Amino acid sequence: MEKKVILIKDTGFKSDTTRDIQSLFLKAIRDIGAEESIQIVRAADLGIYNQGVVVKILPDNTVYTHINSDNIDQIVKAVHKGEVLENLLLKDRVEQTRIVLRNCGVIDPENIEEYFSKGGYTSIAKCLFDLTPAKVIKEMKKSGLRGRGGAGFPTWMKWSFAANSFGDEKYVICNADEGDPGAYMDRSVLEGDPHSVIEGMTIAGYAIGAKHGYFYIRAEYPLAIERVENALKQAYERGLLGKNILGSDFSFDLEIRLGAGAFVCGEETALIASIEGKRGTPNPRPPYPTDSGLWKKPSIINNVETLANISAIFQKGGDWFSSIGTEKSKGTKVFAVTGKVKNSGLVEIAMGTSIKDIVYNIGGGVLNEKQLVAVQTGGPSGGVIPKKHLDTPVSYEHLQELGSIMGSGGMIVMDEDDCMVDISKFYLKFCVDESCGKCAPCRIGGYQMLSILNKISEGEGELEDMDKLHRISQAMQKASLCALGQTAPNPVISTLRYFEDEYKQHIIDKKCRAGKCSKLIQYTINPDKCKRCRLCVTNCPVSAITGDREHGYTIDQEKCIRCGRCFEVCKFEAIARV
Amino acid sequence: MKKMTRDDLEKCAQNTCQSTQYIKVGMSTCGIAAGAQDVFDIFAKEVKTRDINVNVCKTGCIGMCHAEPVVEVAVEGLPAVMYGGVTKEVALRILEEHVCGKRFVNDHIFDLPVRR
Repeated sequence: MEKKVILIKDTGFKSDTTRDIQSLFLKAIRDIGAEESIQIVRAADLGIYNQGVVVKILPDNTVYTHINSDNIDQIVKAVHKGEVLENLLLKDRVEQTRIVLRNCGVIDPENIEEYFSKGGYTSIAKCLFDLTPAKVIKEMKKSGLRGRGGAGFPTWMKWSFAANSFGDEKYVICNADEGDPGAYMDRSVLEGDPHSVIEGMTIAGYAIGAKHGYFYIRAEYPLAIERVENALKQAYERGLLGKNILGSDFSFDLEIRLGAGAFVCGEETALIASIEGKRGTPNPRPPYPTDSGLWKKPSIINNVETLANISAIFQKGGDWFSSIGTEKSKGTKVFAVTGKVKNSGLVEIAMGTSIKDIVYNIGGGVLNEKQLVAVQTGGPSGGVIPKKHLDTPVSYEHLQELGSIMGSGGMIVMDEDDCMVDISKFYLKFCVDESCGKCAPCRIGGYQMLSILNKISEGEGELEDMDKLHRISQAMQKASLCALGQTAPNPVISTLRYFEDEYKQHIIDKKCRAGKCSKLIQYTINPDKCKRCRLCVTNCPVSAITGDREHGYTIDQEKCIRCGRCFEVCKFEAIARV
Repeated sequence: MKKMTRDDLEKCAQNTCQSTQYIKVGMSTCGIAAGAQDVFDIFAKEVKTRDINVNVCKTGCIGMCHAEPVVEVAVEGLPAVMYGGVTKEVALRILEEHVCGKRFVNDHIFDLPVRR
């Protein structure tokens, strides 16, 4: 008989009573003499938060919440007899739905046999022998899959444009030039399940009639490159790539091209230029790559996550895929949840799950029990979503309505210590650094906006600056050549929209609520609260705190670099930030 | 190597090549940065020297970056669980207590992100 295990964890954040409850459980188990068949273990994390003491019973996966000492005997007896206690059961648990990450962390990415055991490469076999290219595209249309790179263009439409445009050669390109700060979904997919992307690309090649494909991976991902290389080798050896795949008439070759890490090369026309060996700068569209792309031949460029969905769609059918998600956004989305969140990591949820559920139920809430202020999605092209809109379901349309975008899947949680002016400055600086400089609105507009934001954060801002920011933003959105320039002002626009007060506070009161804008803050020591422990003195990196135990300590404002170290280490709240 | 056919693929999909007793170490960039390579090495070495019948293998990122390095352990008679924050010391405890002693290790079990 398989042993039963009770995992236990106190999920409240006041005091940890896990050990006390555990000993009560031990006693109860001993009382009925079930030490051999039931084990009680303290868990580190059960994925459930703020529900009192929680127990999870393995292998049944039953979860009981709000346990107190009165329930323990009852639970132990129920576990022993294999019964379920309905009144204590956890209801409505938010769970992840894994399609893209279905094999990540499950199979060995360096062993193709393990991918086979999960039904790997049966989708391409089904496409090659049972479906015509037109039927493949039709199935994709049924699935409703949209591009996961950010813009959300229907994948089937892109494929059918390329399939219908004329060309002796066609190309499939996998865009693995993931550059958003804080986003690493594509890297994890390439490292954890490279064969699913290869299979997706082969199906795309069959659908549009391409014989060649390219992986465009940034050189900063050495392990991803190594694993893709290894996966390609294994697939070639077994005849899953190359001439006459699986004995059919279809041949398909895949190669890797490395990107040097320019953010703009994630834009499709710049990416094509980069593969061609030219400088990675965007070109005006139209002509779209589906008509004239790589080497002027029809090409499709799909994101890693999009391609990883495809083999799952053909394994289980387009209808199955379209049953997940919302009306217009089908399937799932992977988010890299980072920032001030307890459980940072990759989260794959069905479209339509609310942002609140992602942050509080899957992510475990905000670090150190602080107040959440906003959630940023879409990286430098996206925007912030303030706390009041957290109930918004995740979908392309809903996020766009709020002035943000789905983006490639970065989700950064911000708390009361994050200054919105500082955040928009950070993202804008990123885009200014990464702007290729080809078109004036992006090159000049970005720089000018950044200098206005710098002015505001230094306390030199004027109220007209906010209008100026709006005007330049509009010019950039309308006149920039590619999506980098068009979307670069988004973080500024959305913070202006939701946190206008904070900008005004910087401009009129010359104050920064979060204490991030160093020119606007000052640290002082309150002599009444100071216990003269010298902790701040030893921690100050620039020795700006002087004094002695008798007369107390003071901060030399000339020397102080406003790093906030003293503020953090003081145990008596004697350091004031004004 | 022999080129595969559709029948071969379907045959492969039927057999589960993973053994029932395994220790899977999350070895993507995130895991390796957190020290998964050392953990993998110590598992591989100890399993060999102590001659324990368990398969030590690599896998990708399961998405629990806050708990890296993560290790999934399955032994006969016990449900599979995920351990997080596995250092060399914890790795040895997992081998001794969980794999050999069939008792779970306290304070390191994390919930699996999805039900399998």
